[in-house]
Amino acid sequence: MRKIEKITVTIDGSQVSGCEGMTILELAQQNGIDIPTLCHSPELTPIGACRICVVAVEGSRTLVGSCHTPITQGMVIYTHSPKVLETRKVIVELLLASHCGSCYMCEKANVCQLRKIAADLEVGLPRFQTRKRYYPIEDVSPYIQRDLSKCVLCWRCVRACNEIAKQNVFGIAYRGFNSKVVVDFDQPIDKEVCQDCNVCIDICPTGALSKPREVGEEKKGRPLVISS
Amino acid sequence: MSKGQEGVLPQGKEQENLLVMLERAQSEFGYVPEEFIVEAAHSLNVSISEVYGVATFYSFLSTKPLGKNVIRICKSLPCYLKNSQMIIKSVEDEIGIKPGETTPDGKFSFELTNCIGACDEAPAMLINNDVHVNLTPGKISQILKSYK
Ligand code: SF4
Ligand code: FES
Ligand code: FES
Repeated sequence: MRKIEKITVTIDGSQVSGCEGMTILELAQQNGIDIPTLCHSPELTPIGACRICVVAVEGSRTLVGSCHTPITQGMVIYTHSPKVLETRKVIVELLLASHCGSCYMCEKANVCQLRKIAADLEVGLPRFQTRKRYYPIEDVSPYIQRDLSKCVLCWRCVRACNEIAKQNVFGIAYRGFNSKVVVDFDQPIDKEVCQDCNVCIDICPTGALSKPREVGEEKKGRPLVISS
Repeated sequence: MSKGQEGVLPQGKEQENLLVMLERAQSEFGYVPEEFIVEAAHSLNVSISEVYGVATFYSFLSTKPLGKNVIRICKSLPCYLKNSQMIIKSVEDEIGIKPGETTPDGKFSFELTNCIGACDEAPAMLINNDVHVNLTPGKISQILKSYK
């Protein structure tokens, strides 16, 4: 059996050690350092799509994504330098620039990870004015509803469906501003396999994926009768 | 898969390369037909969504049939700075369709593409495999006339 190498790195000024193959994010978490993440989920293969988790590494030309960069011996990492914080903030601002911005009306507003990160990084009113991504809500299926105007293209649903549910329902099609999570030939989602799985709904960081509301079932039981 | 599409699916090692398959369909049929995508997904054991995703990502693959001549105007930054918007407008005026459309007579399809490597002579466009550079609105109708 191969011995697992211990690796020593400096993170935010303190020397810590980790194991070979660990990512910067994992090491940081192990040492109680909080780095925001959006596209990352411990259950999924990291892909570095959102860049929220960037950190500075001495000797590296650019900031690196901590969720997918493995630690190396002697690495010197800064997780909260001014440049890192400013960069994360701009990334959120850019994500929000083309986002529908209807948080006030969004049922997922208080569980939305994008909104939480924006609040944590003190992102205020939008600075960048651009057109918004807009897609009509897909409510064909009785089991899953997609509102892709809220999607941030984190690939979590795509990966969760491939890796956890093993159903490969989603793909990402088109390019640039028009990139979109699609089902088959870009049809509204209504698959036989998508019934009680819910894996993608639970893993979506925004309000893009949800269970359709069944209004008639919301108030169960006998109607309230007030007798005088 | 309909007759005539057989043999376009690569064999052996190439079978692993989705892009090779799609490019071949594009040159063979002028576009990547839906049935081809279904078949390719099946033979590579990946989802239709994934193949459709790749097929729609590249400017030089099309999922709809294209006209006899395909005009592709560069929409990348250097050309933009050299007024590609004006060129797009003149082509629109000349053939009466917008990017993404095909003329009713099937003579021209009009697409926008990413950089085609002719930035030093921007603005640039391709018609089929011919590069046209240093475009001005005045040149457009002349150029288009040479395509039948
Ligand atoms: S639908 Fe949700 S999980 Fe899927 S890519 Fe968009 S934001 Fe991410
Ligand atoms: S969380 Fe690391 S790139 Fe998205
Ligand atoms: S930007 Fe138009 S050819 Fe390069």
